[in-house]
Amino acid sequence: MSEHQGKKKWLELAEKELRGKPVESLNWKTPEGIEVKPLYTAEDIEGLECVNTIPGVSPYVRGPKATMYAGRPWTIRQYAGFSTAKESNEFYRKNLAAGQKGLSVAFDLATHRGYDSDHPRVVGDVGKAGVAVDSVEDMKILFDRIPLGEMSVSMTMNGAVLPILAGYIVAAEEQGVSQDKLAGTIQNDILKEYLTRNTYIYPPEPSMRIVSDIIEYCSKNMPKYNTVSISGYHIMEAGANSVLQTAFTLADGLEYVKAALAKGLDIDDFAPRLSFFFGIGMNFFMDIAMLRAARFLWAEIMSRFNPKKPQSSMLRTHCQTSGWSLTQQDPYNNIIRTTLECLSAVLGGTQSLHTNSFDEAIGLPTDFSARIARNTQIIVQEESQICHVVDPLGGSYYVEYLTNSIVEEARKIMKEIEDLGGMAKAIEMGMPKRMIEESAARKQARIDMGKDVIVGVNKYTIEEDLIDDIREVPATVRDEQVARLKEIKSKRDNDAVKKALDAITKCAESGGNLLEACIPAMRARATVGEVTEAMEKVFGRFVATTQCISGAFSSEYGDSEIIKSIQKRTEEFMNREGRRPRILVTKMGQDGHDRGMKVIATAFADLGFDVDISPMFQTPEEAAKMAIENDVHVVGASSLAAGHKTLVPQLIENLKRMGGEDIKVVAGGVIPPQDYQYLYDAGVAGVFGPGSVIADTANRVLNLIEQK
Amino acid sequence: MSLKDAEWYVQGVLEQDRKILAKTITLIESSLPAHQELGQAVVDRLLPHTGESVRVGITGVPGAGKSTFIESLGVMLLETGHRVAVLAVDPSSTRSGGSILADKTRMERLSASDVAFIRPSPSGGTLGGVARKTRETMLVCEAAGFDVVIIETVGVGQSETTVSSMVDFFLVLLIPGGGDELQGIKKGVIEIADVIAINKADGDNIEKAEKARKEYETALHLLTPASSNWIPPVLTCSAIEMTGIKEVWDTILEHRNKLTGTGELREIRQKQSLDWMLSIIDDGIRDWFYGKPEVKKKLPKISLEVEKGLKEPTIAAREILFTLRKENKD
Repeated sequence: MSEHQGKKKWLELAEKELRGKPVESLNWKTPEGIEVKPLYTAEDIEGLECVNTIPGVSPYVRGPKATMYAGRPWTIRQYAGFSTAKESNEFYRKNLAAGQKGLSVAFDLATHRGYDSDHPRVVGDVGKAGVAVDSVEDMKILFDRIPLGEMSVSMTMNGAVLPILAGYIVAAEEQGVSQDKLAGTIQNDILKEYLTRNTYIYPPEPSMRIVSDIIEYCSKNMPKYNTVSISGYHIMEAGANSVLQTAFTLADGLEYVKAALAKGLDIDDFAPRLSFFFGIGMNFFMDIAMLRAARFLWAEIMSRFNPKKPQSSMLRTHCQTSGWSLTQQDPYNNIIRTTLECLSAVLGGTQSLHTNSFDEAIGLPTDFSARIARNTQIIVQEESQICHVVDPLGGSYYVEYLTNSIVEEARKIMKEIEDLGGMAKAIEMGMPKRMIEESAARKQARIDMGKDVIVGVNKYTIEEDLIDDIREVPATVRDEQVARLKEIKSKRDNDAVKKALDAITKCAESGGNLLEACIPAMRARATVGEVTEAMEKVFGRFVATTQCISGAFSSEYGDSEIIKSIQKRTEEFMNREGRRPRILVTKMGQDGHDRGMKVIATAFADLGFDVDISPMFQTPEEAAKMAIENDVHVVGASSLAAGHKTLVPQLIENLKRMGGEDIKVVAGGVIPPQDYQYLYDAGVAGVFGPGSVIADTANRVLNLIEQK
Repeated sequence: MSLKDAEWYVQGVLEQDRKILAKTITLIESSLPAHQELGQAVVDRLLPHTGESVRVGITGVPGAGKSTFIESLGVMLLETGHRVAVLAVDPSSTRSGGSILADKTRMERLSASDVAFIRPSPSGGTLGGVARKTRETMLVCEAAGFDVVIIETVGVGQSETTVSSMVDFFLVLLIPGGGDELQGIKKGVIEIADVIAINKADGDNIEKAEKARKEYETALHLLTPASSNWIPPVLTCSAIEMTGIKEVWDTILEHRNKLTGTGELREIRQKQSLDWMLSIIDDGIRDWFYGKPEVKKKLPKISLEVEKGLKEPTIAAREILFTLRKENKD
């Protein structure tokens, strides 16, 4: 049977099975807007530009290495860090003994934002969402008995990237390891911070200089070190679909390339050390295709700079399974989700991988959940026999078609960005952020309506929550850090520190390599906060401008009855009270994950609330003042970084002190059910965990406001 | 909200109690007649304590950097001992009626300060309500001891003319644009400007800003100035880099001095008082009319007929207004 005849026969059969409905009724439109048919055949991939390539050869669709996992499987690299350096160090060494291959350090938010642990703005953040590092002394404890000359260490650091990288270099030096031996990755991807996570310190321009200074320094002194990990992960977690993730990540990468070239570097001196970091979600085939498409596009982008080394246009990537796809409800399901995402990353050809622990929607991973997460990868790698063949999905009509679709769609967005003058300009104009937020609001609406099924959340829900083993960071961590800071400052040569810090300020002013200037300061035991401040004098601290789109949530929902009924309730409220229900949505502490807060703001405005949004990084006192000044009915505090037990009760105290005891406080985000009672006792009126349906949330908030 | 008596509000405002000031504004903004009545009583009693502040209106197209500009100007004023109140009017969504009030996200330092007060207000759906509410809110802030009151609006609608009718000084903020220099801002808005400031004059933009400045200067020369003693200057500034902000403030003060000297400022405020009275009457008639049971009953029906094309709008309008005349004879 010829291809054509075969297709005809299939159509007949299909329509018969569908009892007369057209076969197009089975088509599915992905969140990316790609139309997916129920069947793909050879004719769908005829003449597509990215098929029929060879792994290890440009454009690397099928993988950057010729033998891929058949030669050497991907690196199992679990991201972890919490509490003090000592505790994290013990955790790392246990994991390495249990089969993990590389280290990946998570720092706490105070460190990310360049504040020492004793700074008044970080009371709720120290040691919470990562490890607290204030100086080289902490860094040395963090890597105690871990040979930095042999272990590849990845560090997620963007804001305070200079003192941290300098501290790592000095810690290695004091282990007797020279810079040229250091292998690993520093994230150093500042552009996406302005897009999603907000852990920047300085304005974009000096921040870009810092990125290129690091690229320059490392290309000369640390040839084995990956200088930027261009990250799509956070863009996905902020709500971007796979096409947006691809386009924005590669556009970020292009911007770094241009910045390094502008420094006078040769493309082949730095491009091979640029690595990527993608997030993998539950759209199984889409994200396999995404990794293949990204490699194709990167090779295409880099070809315009005429690199001589093939490595310069080779996209190598780390991947992480999605945190957003994890649920607090029925949390053991997360193990299965993570397994599927793991498989997707592997079939897409990742170079290293982090698999999430099933309890991460609730709190920090425990030893148990971390073991399951690690073993998920080990089982896929060592038991499932899938490593033997390179790119096993190469030639799949569907996967090749999807790969090509992503290439085409992402190219369009990248073209738009180029027309705006590049990614830095586009970010300044707010274009990517708007697109991400719209994508996020639409996704939330699909989940709320049950169009996107999430088992345990909007389908097959169960009553009880099973998990009771939660890792909690003791409140004493901050005290320990503060005491150690005091000790360091009393023992060091303060004149030498001052001199080194002045040199940094001068370098920031007049040019020169900032990483080079920061190393002596860290060596002299200057703190992360001091080094940050030395540059802040010149660069200033950047304040984000929050913008919020409206209408995206309700437009995805359509004319749903639930939406209308809430709009009616807010309308009635206004007729009764003389104004609309007014809510202040705030984020306190150094946690910059603002997707949740924005989705709530957008949706609540669409539901007829007046929504105030606070600046980022508020202290509880500032948030209370704003609530009182704007005379809101309720404050919604969003917390995703374990600060809720300190910051939310403090907010309530401040409200009381300022006479705002009538203002209700609700909390949402990543809050373990174990902590609910604690929060209720502190006066919180409602807690909304991950997976809360917006419509229910709005109704519950209205109930709270109405009961006086 | 549970109501206190007028005395509670008046005392609180005069004692500069932040919470009571906030509650008073809520009262003024309320759409309930009982609240409005109490609000009026409070405003009446606060009026003797008003009039001492510098009243500045600021507008600009979305993206002109209004909030950031106000943050920079405000912080500078705080440093020189002023107490600053900022009132921001935000458009509400016509579809859901709700709104997003995000101005404070760009006024981080100002919103954290103890001597500053920022209140974003949804414009709401009420007809003409913004004007009354904003003016009274401004007066309440004055009574609470704020000596600079800044009113921020989005520069696309009629709200600017309304705001200019209650402030001493009207500032239009623009950015250097490519070619299309009017940037969607209504010509009428330019006409009421006492100063035009070209913001974002930093980095690559400095030259463009200077070019835009000259073009606007030329354009302004073609307009007849509202006062023979004041030709609106065009300045450049960068709210982010804090450059040119002091010059803008100096211009505001210069304007104030000049017009105080010639007696024009007093005249302007007297004229504004008259406008205010007329607009209260307007609002009153409107509320009274639309509140009539007869009108309430008939209007939806007639509206539907006009919408469907069953009745001419002119005839329909006369029919409704006729009800009124008839009623009055009764």
